[in-house]
Amino acid sequence: MPRRAVLTGIGVLSSIGVGPDAFWDSLVHGKSGIRPFRSFDPSGLPVRFAGEIPDFDAKNYLDKKDRKSLRVMARTIQLAVAAAQLALDDAKVDKEKLDPTRFGVEFGSGLISTELEELIDAARVASNCQPGTVDIGKWGQAGLPVITPLWMLKYLPNMLACHVSILHNAQGPNNTITENDVAGLLALGEASRILGRGQADIFLAGGGESRLTILSLSRQCLFAELSRRNDAPEKACRPFDRGRDGIVLGEGAGVFVVEELEHARKRGARILGEIAGFGAAFDPVDRSKGAKYRSGAGLARAMRQALREAGIGPGDIDHVNAHGFSTVGGDAWEARAIRDVFGDSGTPVFAPRSYFGTLGAASATVELTASVLALSHGQVPPTLNYDESDPECPIAVIAGKPHTVRTPYVLKLSCTALGQCAALVYRRWDS
Amino acid sequence: MRRRVVITGMGAITPLGHTVSDLFSEQIAGKSGVARTTRFDAHAFPTTFSAEVRDFDLSRFVADASRWENSGVNCQFGLAAAQQALKDAGIFDDKRLDRTRAGIYLGCGEGVQDFPNLISLIALSGDPQSHKIDTPAFTAAALKHFHAQREAEQELHTTPGHIAEEFGLLGPNYNCLTACAASSQAIGEASELIRHGDADVMVSGGAHSMINPFGVTGFNLLTALSTRNDAPEKASRPFDLNRDGFVLGEGAGMLILEELEHARRRGARIYAELTGYGSTADAFRITDSHPDGRGAIACIEAAMKDARLNPSDVGYINAHGTSTQVNDRVETVAIKRVLGEHAYKVPVNSSKSMLGHLIAAAGAVELITCVMSLLRSVLPPTINYETPDPECDLDYIPNAAREKRVAHVLSNSFGFGGQNVSLIVSRFTA
Repeated sequence: MPRRAVLTGIGVLSSIGVGPDAFWDSLVHGKSGIRPFRSFDPSGLPVRFAGEIPDFDAKNYLDKKDRKSLRVMARTIQLAVAAAQLALDDAKVDKEKLDPTRFGVEFGSGLISTELEELIDAARVASNCQPGTVDIGKWGQAGLPVITPLWMLKYLPNMLACHVSILHNAQGPNNTITENDVAGLLALGEASRILGRGQADIFLAGGGESRLTILSLSRQCLFAELSRRNDAPEKACRPFDRGRDGIVLGEGAGVFVVEELEHARKRGARILGEIAGFGAAFDPVDRSKGAKYRSGAGLARAMRQALREAGIGPGDIDHVNAHGFSTVGGDAWEARAIRDVFGDSGTPVFAPRSYFGTLGAASATVELTASVLALSHGQVPPTLNYDESDPECPIAVIAGKPHTVRTPYVLKLSCTALGQCAALVYRRWDS
Repeated sequence: MRRRVVITGMGAITPLGHTVSDLFSEQIAGKSGVARTTRFDAHAFPTTFSAEVRDFDLSRFVADASRWENSGVNCQFGLAAAQQALKDAGIFDDKRLDRTRAGIYLGCGEGVQDFPNLISLIALSGDPQSHKIDTPAFTAAALKHFHAQREAEQELHTTPGHIAEEFGLLGPNYNCLTACAASSQAIGEASELIRHGDADVMVSGGAHSMINPFGVTGFNLLTALSTRNDAPEKASRPFDLNRDGFVLGEGAGMLILEELEHARRRGARIYAELTGYGSTADAFRITDSHPDGRGAIACIEAAMKDARLNPSDVGYINAHGTSTQVNDRVETVAIKRVLGEHAYKVPVNSSKSMLGHLIAAAGAVELITCVMSLLRSVLPPTINYETPDPECDLDYIPNAAREKRVAHVLSNSFGFGGQNVSLIVSRFTA
């Protein structure tokens, strides 16, 4: 008998809510989390809005004895650690009763930029404030001693999974996937595979990321295709809409407790659903059609692989949970892939990131959370800001009003602007 | 029947040469790749030396090197090593290869941060009294002075994306970054993708360079690096009593992993079989490994179980062997615990004594070394081994290579933060 991976707990932090209840409440009430930027003065930047989590304080999620470790966690890490705690609580896991060697951690993560404040003293020692000029001798000699010794550890991308493993004594398989926005879905897929092959019984799997620090946001403004809709932030993230003009940045974390079915049953866990199928692929640029044109064949292949593994066809899918870049080219690419697999069937497409923007490595698991909850509640909320269809995206976007759930399956898609992509089939548990 | 995974191609860009053959023969000769750092002016840092890749020329490996001129050295090393490995495996000549069944799983590091601009702009906008940044001043200057494409190329998914694009590999595409265990973990998980049937061929390995101002700053602050500035080539001395930290290296190692029947059908040369993979976490501290080697023990055991090996089957161990006090002691404890009395009969070396520590890329380059040891029946030494440490009492192949025919080789990689990986490669037998 193949071992099956089931989902038993949700930990979610986003601009539209912390925890599944608040998160769902915002979705059903059409409340966007995209607002004018508040964390620091963004007036020097071309983009001055984002999906920030207001008043996030990681202390609220950690036992008192563990709180001192927050000093060595960048915000990205704190978000992940908090979401992991929420997921364990939601799954009602009694850690004392787990075999720590069978408890794994799989996180998606991204590049974490340094907090500038930590380097002010060293920078002033080594620079005369002339842009691009540093006296590296002074930096080495007098700069290093005024930087906190554990500086680097605060920003290592593997520290999400490491801190979570330490806080919860998870000694099983442990990985950190750093594949941009698709990282969280690859991590969830890999965790379910490891459960399937019997090397662990329970996982904390997901992702966390904030690109809303001063340096990270500046870098994103330089190279990411960001929406400039500063006059109407809540309207800025509009996947598949004709008026879309780019990515909207958010921050968050989405972590699941995923466990082997019999393990879940034995501890009497509430089973939300099953990771039924998974596939990953690469969609290359077709230069004959444009410098950034991707045909969608790769993403379609990942989708078919996930469907095949789940033992179902496109007709069994209730709705597609889209990546939904909200960029002109990215959405057209994704729509081509959806058409490739679903043809003219009019399978509904939901783009939850219209509510909270892209969350980097946390994107896929937070977005999937929206569908996990939707399948449980029997209705899928509408995609926000889908006002006018685009002939380049000939798909049936759920918009204006909710879609009533017909089948227990959702197909989750995730992509990067470089062409990496993955798809995952989740099935609601109907006991 | 489980699908079997074999190694059919290898490529390496390292401080000891730009081919697999050079990498191995230099190790057998006991050469050190460590010297004074030239990538930047490191004279005032606590550590002034490293193991650098010398005279690298990407245009020898790809059609249009200018396409990748804004990429980090990690990506450029990775492209070159991947090209070598694909060529070595005969993939380029195979017109019938189904590229949708050929994927990538790497453990690559980040690109290089723009140190002069970042530090000068922090100085410009930072208030030393309040310790606050004048954000509008910083952001406006950042947009003006940072190079957009070079910033984009620091992101962690660029190397596998570019290799897929350059060589037309359309299967699953992953990057993991579990610190010093990354490329070993990539190889382990890539082999699992093949076993599961997601792909028939995987390019797997890693590429990394932290020989830059921020990398050395970070490791020097942690006091993790050797500071033996008067004798750089003597600085990496794993298991020696007087070891004082690791030496940064850089480079890339790539392997072609292939499903056995697929390799047979296309008549590929089979170097070895990847038989075992284990992954665990110490779940102890972010700064130290578990003192009893808890995670390392479980990890080696998991890999041996996966390969269905008994302790006496292990013929050679390529250790993580960083040359730090803690790692080398704990790794020795772990090896003894898992192999029992047999531990004293197994030759153990640390390639880092010669190559330095390639961080994310270390495991892949070391696994290539293991495969070459299987093929050539000669084991590389641990150089700079002068004074035995009573707590490190195994046979570390001191200072001179040794001829020995072995059937199974264990390679360990233990990441900062407690992520552990062990791999086992075996002499291929039908």
